[in-house]
Amino acid sequence: MPSLPSLGYGLGLRKEHYHAILETEPNVDWFEILSENYLVAGGKPRFFLERIRERYPLVMHGVSLSIGGTDPLDRDYLKQIKALADTIEPHWISDHLCWTGVEGINLHDLLPLPYTEEAIRHIVDRVKQVQDFLGRRILLENVSSYITYTDSQMSEWEFLGAICEQADCLILLDINNIHVSALNHDFAAIDYLEGVPVERVQQFHLAGHSDYTNYAVDTHDADIVQPVWDLYEKAVERFGNVSTMIERDDNILPLETLLNELDQARRIGGETIHSELNSHA
Amino acid sequence: MPDRSLRAIQQAMQQCLTDGDERIRSLIVGTPGFSIETRLGIYTEAYRLRLIDALGDAYPAVHTLLGDEGFHALATAYIDRHPSHFRSIRWFGDRLATFLADHPAWKDTPLLAEMARFEWSLRGAFDAADFTPLTTQALHDVPPEHWAGLRLVFSPTLQEPCYFNWNSVKLWQAIDAESDPIPPQRLAQPETWLIWRNTEQQTRFRSLLVDEAWAMNSMRQGQDFAAICDGLGEWLDEEHIAARAAGFLHQWLEDELVVAIETGNTSP
Ligand SMILES: [Fe+2]
Repeated sequence: MPSLPSLGYGLGLRKEHYHAILETEPNVDWFEILSENYLVAGGKPRFFLERIRERYPLVMHGVSLSIGGTDPLDRDYLKQIKALADTIEPHWISDHLCWTGVEGINLHDLLPLPYTEEAIRHIVDRVKQVQDFLGRRILLENVSSYITYTDSQMSEWEFLGAICEQADCLILLDINNIHVSALNHDFAAIDYLEGVPVERVQQFHLAGHSDYTNYAVDTHDADIVQPVWDLYEKAVERFGNVSTMIERDDNILPLETLLNELDQARRIGGETIHSELNSHA
Repeated sequence: MPDRSLRAIQQAMQQCLTDGDERIRSLIVGTPGFSIETRLGIYTEAYRLRLIDALGDAYPAVHTLLGDEGFHALATAYIDRHPSHFRSIRWFGDRLATFLADHPAWKDTPLLAEMARFEWSLRGAFDAADFTPLTTQALHDVPPEHWAGLRLVFSPTLQEPCYFNWNSVKLWQAIDAESDPIPPQRLAQPETWLIWRNTEQQTRFRSLLVDEAWAMNSMRQGQDFAAICDGLGEWLDEEHIAARAAGFLHQWLEDELVVAIETGNTSP
């Protein structure tokens, strides 16, 4: 079971939905915000955030930590993250198990790491620094990837598990990213699920992607496909009632359509939990 | 043996994205159905597309002026020259106006740099931190003997004034309203434009006459009211100066541009 109680079923907060959320107060249990959009204390983004925060629990999700990067940790960024967290009091803070650039450049992408002992040591040390600074455990999310480095010595899930155990951090498991990476790297998605330490998984992401003949690209701009729903069901079986949210970054749909997709997650999650409970009764 | 440290791998991958460097190819694995080339292509293409999109978001009017192809060429050249150093991609593109003004391909169309300058200022005003403006009452509360040493602290949303030789703002308005295109025109007199955000979260802009522009600039640089009155002698008769200067201050407070008044012994 996750270490914090489940928040239920959430959505990624997008500016296109600010008005609809405040006007209709939709049946969403919580929202995940992209931290980088709210680092400046003011303007429209913070104006809406304050109002939405009065009604919904929030979690913070970042893209610029570059926890696997080899530039020094960006202290200014961490200070801004901490200041935002002090203001909006998120239930937790997450970022990605990746690197985003070196030599001061931000490539604005979540780039994969070689799965090596060197990388594990490097990242464990940085996660500890970040957690000490923020005064809380962080969640790391698995990214979807298209390349494997020749130097990799283990599977992605072994790499993720080792870092989280050694640094004592938590996991944001992106179900779609597992599906996409499994296609791109020829492994079985179920092996990934079974290789992840159960007690560390704090949150799920669900999203859509683009399928090509021999590979898939994580675009976060499409509906969730059936194999991802199936994998989600397996994930709920293994990890239990974990906070679940749907990410949609591009091709933003009306809130209502996303609510329907969220209801589907609720249904699958609810039924799976229910039948698990019965089978253990 | 080549350096295969984590850092070396990241440098090789980054140079593949920014410069098309091929060293990374020997450090990754391909499969028959999904070649190294296709795999890297996903990253290199996404890298450029993401930054081009970000520039398009920030500079819709420059995009309209140049058309799709022209804007793509500009964005690509800019990305190569100024890769992002920002945490938020929203801040990427800060030097586009200077880039346009200096680059041989675009410097002969100075309107483009002006438009970029204007659009970036709009974004700067929109994104700036929140503030609490003073009302005009604050001016009335200043005792007469403190006026000479009076200084202003301006709203964080107030942008560097823009100096335009072209009808860039009119063009921007036409593009923004999606109304019929109007022709670019050189102005008879250069204009100074002020851009800021009010407390209703609206981005505002207006042009200034030359004496107000000078007074605003001087006060932004920390000069006091007495110095402003001295300087206004350039444009006005002695007996009109004080009223004109006080009128500027009044207007700036009404515009929600001022967050603090410092007088006398308070140093700026
Ligand atoms: Fe995700």
